Amino acid sequence: MAVPVPWACCAVLAAAAAVVYAQRHSPHETPHVQYERLGSDVTLPCGTANWDAAVTWRVNGTDLAPDLLNGSQLVLRGLELGHSGLYACFHRDSWHLRHQVLLNVGLPPREPVLSCRSNTYPKGFYCSWHLPTPTYIPNTFNVTVLHGSKIMVCEKDPALKNRCHIRYMHLFSTVKYKVSISVSNALGHNATAITFDEFTIVKPDPPENVVARPVPSNPRRLEVTWQTPSTWPDPESFPLKFFLRYRPLILDQWQHVELSDGTAHTITDAYAGKEYIIQVAAKDNEIGTWSDWSVAAHATPWTEEPRHLTTEAQAPDHGQHHKLPGTPAYHEDL
Amino acid sequence: MDLRAGDSWGMLACLCTVLWHLPAVPALNRTGDPGPGPSIQKTYDLTRYLEHQLRSLAGTYLNYLGPPFNEPDFNPPRLGAETLPRATVDLEVWRSLNDRLRLTQNYEAYSHLLCYLRGLNRQAATAELRRSLAHFCTSLQGLLGSIAGVMAALGYPLPQPLPGTEPTWTPGPAHSDFLQKMDDFWLLKELQTWLWRSAKDFNRLKKKMQPPAAAVTLHLEAHGF
Repeated sequence: MAVPVPWACCAVLAAAAAVVYAQRHSPHETPHVQYERLGSDVTLPCGTANWDAAVTWRVNGTDLAPDLLNGSQLVLRGLELGHSGLYACFHRDSWHLRHQVLLNVGLPPREPVLSCRSNTYPKGFYCSWHLPTPTYIPNTFNVTVLHGSKIMVCEKDPALKNRCHIRYMHLFSTVKYKVSISVSNALGHNATAITFDEFTIVKPDPPENVVARPVPSNPRRLEVTWQTPSTWPDPESFPLKFFLRYRPLILDQWQHVELSDGTAHTITDAYAGKEYIIQVAAKDNEIGTWSDWSVAAHATPWTEEPRHLTTEAQAPDHGQHHKLPGTPAYHEDL
Repeated sequence: MDLRAGDSWGMLACLCTVLWHLPAVPALNRTGDPGPGPSIQKTYDLTRYLEHQLRSLAGTYLNYLGPPFNEPDFNPPRLGAETLPRATVDLEVWRSLNDRLRLTQNYEAYSHLLCYLRGLNRQAATAELRRSLAHFCTSLQGLLGSIAGVMAALGYPLPQPLPGTEPTWTPGPAHSDFLQKMDDFWLLKELQTWLWRSAKDFNRLKKKMQPPAAAVTLHLEAHGF
């Protein structure tokens, strides 16, 4: 039959063309990802092209000067962060794409900074970490927690990616905790560890809702109230003590008061009429360290209202009726 | 008390028998007295004082033992020291201890710890160390007496050792110098931890003893609290 033969022929040719096209293009469709160290030199070959092949290099779509080339290879010296990008080399005459490299310039990780703290004693503690200097490329962290020889689970924080949480299984332990962290990226690896006793890392969050109010008819008093931090799970069994500091805004010297219980205190030696700044910190009664200072409260002690002098133009005294000409009579006069 | 070979304190003559036979403090007449509150406060204060005292004593003693015992990162596995009373406890268990058990555990722990400390004192090399240890032992004895007083005020009997478990002098096998030092290290560590725990224990007791505005009688058995 005359009609199907040319169709079959076209189909075969099309398939062959597709295969050839795929062979020539697919190895270069997905760019090769490469990580290089800041400050170093790198030579990028143009895929499998011969050294003497005629090629043009582009970075992020912009042509690169031919003086960077060594034959068909691109040479970059003293890599800077700005060198990161998508590099592509093309056959000079056909503009056929031969090779792509996604270059990421970065650094190997330095020793991470790791710290742990219990602001929820006796429930548990958390550890957080960061790198002292950026690497500019992706890093992965791995945290392990040991209590003696027992491995404990550190649950990732739902919001912060450089924090994880550990639950205390036992209290009053004599065995230390050891938290190790390792960090690695394409250019290197680093690690650190810390060991500590259960008690030494206890540090509550600062007290909340610190409010300072003047005391009526008392020009030298300020009443301060606050609340135990909401993260402290059991203030009944694990009571907190507090440290209050206050000063008038105009002076630098703080006054301090330590309070063993209660969430209120009256300052009795305030300077009359001066605005005060007041802060409170918290600590477990026996163990650990003081919290950071709370958000500051401001207040000025009560001062007696000065008696206002009135002039004729102002409103009359309450106790008297002034009948000014032209003013309408008051209802009560009717 | 289970004495095992190699445990250094098992070898020591223990004056614990003296402690176990403390004369029973007569129960205070409860009518008209402020209750056990003040003596609980006093016991709490004593734990704080002892904890403070121990800090300097332990520092000196660990320096005397030398490295690695005096290194801050020293983190040995807990081997040996089997007979030391351990402060560590599951949180819920600790929370739900009734008053009698809470007090008994404290009393028994310090009885044992005091006994071991006296053994330590016997071997301490310098006179100054022996003086510091002796002073601490006296204070610890005071704490024991204070706890006994609270128990008596609440009508609880002092724990008595079971017959046959009283520690007696048994010359045991020679103990290596390093293992001896390890035992000393754990004794001091456990003592410090017990003092922290006791502060929490007595704070809890203090809160429970606080008389409510109306009622005067104190019913002291805990109900799952």
